[in-house]
Amino acid sequence: MSTTDSTSQGSQISVELIVKNRMGIHARPAAMIVRIANRFPAELYVEKDDEQVNGKSIMGLMMLAAGQGSKLRFTTLGEGGQDMLKEMEKLFERKFDEP
Amino acid sequence: MPLRPRPKIIDNITVLEFLNAGRDSLKMSVVAGERGMKNIVRDKSINRPALALTGYYKSFATKRVQVFGAGEIAYLRDTKEDKQYKVLTEIAQRHIPCMIVTRGLQPTQPMIEAANENDIPLIRTTLSTRDFLAASTLLLENMFAPRVSEHGTLMDVKGIGVLIRGDSGVGKSECALALVERGYSLVADDKVNIKLINEKDLVGTSNEINRGYMECRGLGIINIAELFGIRSVRTDKNINLVITFTAWKETDEEERTGLESDNFEILGIQVPHIRFSVKPGRDLARLVEVASMVQALKLIGHDSAKEFNERLINQMKTEEPGALI
Repeated sequence: MSTTDSTSQGSQISVELIVKNRMGIHARPAAMIVRIANRFPAELYVEKDDEQVNGKSIMGLMMLAAGQGSKLRFTTLGEGGQDMLKEMEKLFERKFDEP
Repeated sequence: MPLRPRPKIIDNITVLEFLNAGRDSLKMSVVAGERGMKNIVRDKSINRPALALTGYYKSFATKRVQVFGAGEIAYLRDTKEDKQYKVLTEIAQRHIPCMIVTRGLQPTQPMIEAANENDIPLIRTTLSTRDFLAASTLLLENMFAPRVSEHGTLMDVKGIGVLIRGDSGVGKSECALALVERGYSLVADDKVNIKLINEKDLVGTSNEINRGYMECRGLGIINIAELFGIRSVRTDKNINLVITFTAWKETDEEERTGLESDNFEILGIQVPHIRFSVKPGRDLARLVEVASMVQALKLIGHDSAKEFNERLINQMKTEEPGALI
C-alpha cells in the first residue's frame, strides 16, 4: 500500500487512508492525528483531491473537510516517517474511537 | 526542505462554471443551447465575432467566449435568415464555448436554432457591451489565475501583506495573535490560498471554512472576528513581504545591515523575504511590524539601510585623508 521514493532528500513515504468514522475529520480526530504526527521528527503532508495541508496542523486538517469515505494521501518526509504512518493506519482503522 | 504544494495552472473552465461565477455580477440568463453547458472556455480573452459573421474565419478566436453586441445583432437582422443560419452554423461548428448577447437584445431566430442544434449555450445579459466586457474580463482573469497554497499565516500590517512562514510549532499563530491585538488584520491562518492576478499581483485568501478562525496552541480554536471585532479580519490581501521563522541555532547568520536583499518565489514572482530566528525573549510581533514598515518605506522609495550607508560613505569622503577624528 505504501510507496517509497528515496530519490529526494531523506525518504519520502506515502500511504492512502480512507476516513471511516461517520462524522469525518472534525476537531477531535484532527487533534488525534496531530498528536501522533508530533511524536515523530518527520514532516507530514496530507492531501485530499488537489488540496495539500500540513499534517501537524489541526486547522489544516480540518480545512480539508474530509467526510466519511474521503480518501486522504499521507506523505512523510524524514526520520520516523514509516513508524508514523503505521500509527496513522491503526488510528484510521479504529475510526478514531468513534462510531 | 519542506514539501511545497505544486502550483495549479487553470487552462480551461466550463461554461457552467463561468455562468455560476458571474450569475450576479454579469446578469446572465440562458436562452438556448442548454445541452452545451459543459463546453470549455480555453482562453481568458473575449471575442467579438463581427468578422466571422461575414464568413471570414482566418484567426477566428474559437477558444473564447463570443460576445454579440449591438453591431453584430444589427448586422444579423439585416442579413437574410438562411444566410444567417448558414454562417452561425459554421461558427458554432468551430467549437466556440458559448455566445453572449448584450444589452438585453433579442437574439435572432437563426441564432437560437444554431445554438440548439450545435449545443452552444446562447446567453443573454442585460449589461451594456462595455460593462459586460469589463466585468467578464476581470472575472475570467480571476478564474484562470494560476494558484498555489502556502503553509503559513497572512496578515495585513498597515496595508502591507505579510506572509509568515515557518515549521509548525515555531510560533506563527502566536505572532499573528499579537499582531491582531495591536490592531492589524488576519487574512488567513495555517493555509494561505494564493492566486496570481494580471501576472504580477499575488492575492492571498483563506479557505471559506476557517475565515476569521485561528488555532493557537494552549488555547485551541478561537474566533478572531468575534474576539477582536470585524476589522481584525479581512478576506483577501496582496502579498508584499514574506517572513520566515526558523528555530534558533547558534550557527544562524541573520541579516545585520539590511543592505542585502533576499527574495522568496511564489508562482514565478519574487517577493522580498526576511528570515528571523526564534529565540526566547524576542518580540517577533514587533519585528514583523517594523519589517512591514521598512517594506512600506521601500515601496515609496526610501531605503533606510542604503541611505545610512551613503551618509557614512559621504562623511568619509569629505574628511581629509589622514586627518584626525
